[in-house]
Amino acid sequence: MKILVAIKQVANLDDDFEIRDDGKDVDHDFCDYEINEWDDYSLETALQIRENNGDEGEIVVVTVGPDDAEDELRKCLGKGADRAIRVWDDAIEGSDQVAIARILTKVVEKEAPDMVFMGVQAADNAYAQTGVAVAQQLGWPHAAVVNALEYTPGASTATANRELEGGLEEKITVNCPAVMTIQLGINEPRYASLRGIKQAAGKPLDEISHSDLGLSDDEVGEAGSVSRVRKVFVPEKGQAELIEGTPAEQAARLAEILKELSGA
Amino acid sequence: MIDPAHNSEQVTRILFQDFPLWMTVSFYIIGLSALAYFGYGCYVEIRKYKRGKEFPTLPEMGAKAWKMVTDVLLHRTLKRRDTSAGKAHMMIFYGFAICFIATSIITLQEDITKPLFGLTFWYGSFYLWFSLTVDIAGLGLICGLLYMMYRRKWLALPKLDYTRPDRSPEDPDFSRMKYKREDWVFLWSLIIIAITGFILEAVRLVWLQADSTVYDYRWWSPVGNVIAEILQGVGMTSDAASTTRMYLWWFHGLIALTFIAVIPRTKIKHVFTAMGSLAVRSDLPIQRLPEVDMDQDKIGYSKLTDFNFKNLLHLDACTKCGRCHEACPANATGYPLSPRDFVLTLRELAEEKLEGKSMPENEEDLRALGTGMNQVRSETLWACRTCAACVEICPVGIEHVPMIVEMRRALIEEGDFDPMLQTALQALHKSGNSFGDNKRKRPNWSKKLDFKIKNAAKEPVDVLWFVGDYASFDPRSQKVSQDFAKILNAAGVDFGILYEKEMSAGNDVRRVGEEGLYQHLVENNIATLEGCEFNRIVTTDPHSFNTLKNEYPEFGGKYDIEHASAMIQRMLSDGTIKLDKEIDATATYHDPCHLGRYNKGYDAPRQALKEMGVELIEMTRSRDNSFCCGAGGGRIWHADPIELEKPSENRAKEAMTLEGVDTLVVNCPKCMTMMEDAVKSTGADKQMVVKELIELVAERMTLDAPEEVEEPAPAPAKEEAPAAEAAAEPAKEENKGGDA
Repeated sequence: MKILVAIKQVANLDDDFEIRDDGKDVDHDFCDYEINEWDDYSLETALQIRENNGDEGEIVVVTVGPDDAEDELRKCLGKGADRAIRVWDDAIEGSDQVAIARILTKVVEKEAPDMVFMGVQAADNAYAQTGVAVAQQLGWPHAAVVNALEYTPGASTATANRELEGGLEEKITVNCPAVMTIQLGINEPRYASLRGIKQAAGKPLDEISHSDLGLSDDEVGEAGSVSRVRKVFVPEKGQAELIEGTPAEQAARLAEILKELSGA
Repeated sequence: MIDPAHNSEQVTRILFQDFPLWMTVSFYIIGLSALAYFGYGCYVEIRKYKRGKEFPTLPEMGAKAWKMVTDVLLHRTLKRRDTSAGKAHMMIFYGFAICFIATSIITLQEDITKPLFGLTFWYGSFYLWFSLTVDIAGLGLICGLLYMMYRRKWLALPKLDYTRPDRSPEDPDFSRMKYKREDWVFLWSLIIIAITGFILEAVRLVWLQADSTVYDYRWWSPVGNVIAEILQGVGMTSDAASTTRMYLWWFHGLIALTFIAVIPRTKIKHVFTAMGSLAVRSDLPIQRLPEVDMDQDKIGYSKLTDFNFKNLLHLDACTKCGRCHEACPANATGYPLSPRDFVLTLRELAEEKLEGKSMPENEEDLRALGTGMNQVRSETLWACRTCAACVEICPVGIEHVPMIVEMRRALIEEGDFDPMLQTALQALHKSGNSFGDNKRKRPNWSKKLDFKIKNAAKEPVDVLWFVGDYASFDPRSQKVSQDFAKILNAAGVDFGILYEKEMSAGNDVRRVGEEGLYQHLVENNIATLEGCEFNRIVTTDPHSFNTLKNEYPEFGGKYDIEHASAMIQRMLSDGTIKLDKEIDATATYHDPCHLGRYNKGYDAPRQALKEMGVELIEMTRSRDNSFCCGAGGGRIWHADPIELEKPSENRAKEAMTLEGVDTLVVNCPKCMTMMEDAVKSTGADKQMVVKELIELVAERMTLDAPEEVEEPAPAPAKEEAPAAEAAAEPAKEENKGGDA
């Protein structure tokens, strides 16, 4: 059994960030980086499937990202993944979700797992497309926004609960191998103790480039993308006021604001 | 003393007088069997301790043994917080010890020196003084025991109630009846041995009233003689006394021998284990947690055999006196933890699993963590605030906190902990602080000052101020940090902070059991400090203070470090800090565990308050018995269940009982956070405010720079400041009006 879990290192914004000079992204100096929250859940899903089935099989984590992203892979290894792959080179910079999906597709083809887990979406860009795009490019079945999963390694099908809008859920069965995008709350992700992470330092972490995957320069980066960012900005609308003072003063000011807004 | 008519060698007690040979022989057989059983029991117990991990400290045992001896002889640890029990125990201890030594002297003559060398000494004036001493000792023993019986039966002390907070009545290991029975059997058997001893003495006097070498010296056994007079008064004859003596002799002898035989199997073993436990105490049991070999397959204690010899000996030393049970803030507020029951649970598990001829084959049977019989539950371990009130007061030197932390280390490895704690630990890993804020925000609090604090990471300073997480990021404590900076600045201290280079010192991370993360933080901080030029460190945070002072040296970071309150007190005394305003405050002072109990910093803050002219009214639980605010041991990263009283609320209520107190003085950013909430939720804020010691000092100084603006400041800043001040001023007045 082999499960491939794709993860992303996402940017976490400071309160007082600045936009980059070219206006197309946030200045990275104002970001902290961490693993995408959804990916914690998809790794946990994989780890639990293995634990509940005799601790057999391999879990491979993969990310497309720069050097820093290695930290997140190490944490995944610390939690119990067996092997990690990081795909990166300068040409990949500027890839959109389709180009990233193209890279991940190649990795999946190379690894030939029984199942691919990805997060529903990334916390920073929030496209929610990479997972399904990978399934599309592979020609595999997929289930998106999965909040419960029945899957036994080696089985020909998996049954997933999908979270729909309006509190509805959908239960679907898909043929395996398949791509699942995992929703928050499907489980309780474990903690990787620092000792665990350090002890996992010996686990293999391969670094490969797009050409190692047989992709040409124009299949990745901006050249391989179908969209480009024109502008990142803070919308001008909206206002906020921090109400200070004693509780009585605060209440008075709040009442004033409410009256103002309701037009009274 | 001895009548010249008597041969002094005849003034003695003839052992086995009038015994047929078979009886004497029987006695020796029974006596030796009792000793053999005692010896076997000791062997089983020691084998049990040795089944734990090795505990190599023999080289340093000498000094510790001496401390143990003086502690035992003076009963120093036993008299604390329960003087009458301590005194009663002292009477029992000395009574028992003297009777034991007396018996040993007789044995020495009768079975060793006399048969081997023909040497005798137990006669004449030595014998008479011996008799008197033993009589007084026996009387003391009985008085002590009677008080203990009275205390158990009639005082109904809560600490002697064995109801467990960590189990519910339906659990099979809930009942502690076994201990209750044992306590009483122990008291009764000992008192019966003592009383029958006296009656035996009296009966002998009646029986041998015709023998002048006995009867003329009867007042050397005053207690025995008074009873003898009574017996004679009710008409006991010499013959009747002779018969009674024979039965009583055997009765007394048999219970005494049984008592000795069962020592290792019963609570009586504490006479040995308590001494052993006191002798293996660590110098810094709570201040410096046990080192860990990080390359092992697993760390922490999850099974009995992870505990070391010392830990297992500690478990056996517990006498269930309940002092820890009473002092524990978790227990006091209804959490499922009592240090006493933690110890007893593990002790029973060890008795069950490690006393057999062979060890359980299945490793799982040795598991100490879990929800089964005599296993410690994870909620029990997470309830601990590592405030060390238990370790502080334990009269037999049990070190609970290191064991709890070792077990937490295993829980961290197994992932058995609160999701909130996980969030905090991940934040600490990612950004070096538990708030999850970007590193660059760490020095933000200092931006509001009208002077710039030196960056100790870039330029040499005399005093390096290690600010700590709460003092850096918590909005309420940031104000205190600003005050401290102003005080240092006004006092002309050459100081600096590490700005974004500082990371959490990790004290609580270690106490949570995340040793890997702790060491990661320590390594980073030590590397940073190594690159700085400074003479000493100061911190307002007792948690950072403790680990920097006591634990960093283990990793190569040795610093001259002081807590802010000690520094302030020093500067107040030598006039470096000039107080030029009067304040009118009646305060009570809440000792932070990490400054007080951990590092004995009781006096400096009190002295500082005194020098500031603050009237101090102490809470009942102060100094070494200070009641934890509940934040320690990583509990600040846990949510307290709403249905339970928070330790901080318990504390606020205590402060409220003090008449006239208008200020609750804290001396730790974490205590500040807890107590600020607690005074609000208990309504104590109607009568008092929570202030840091530092804030009181700042209030008495003229700190704020004159308001003249040297160069035109940017417009928003200019507008903001006066507006905020204007808003704050009337608010204060309004509050005062409301209170009046």
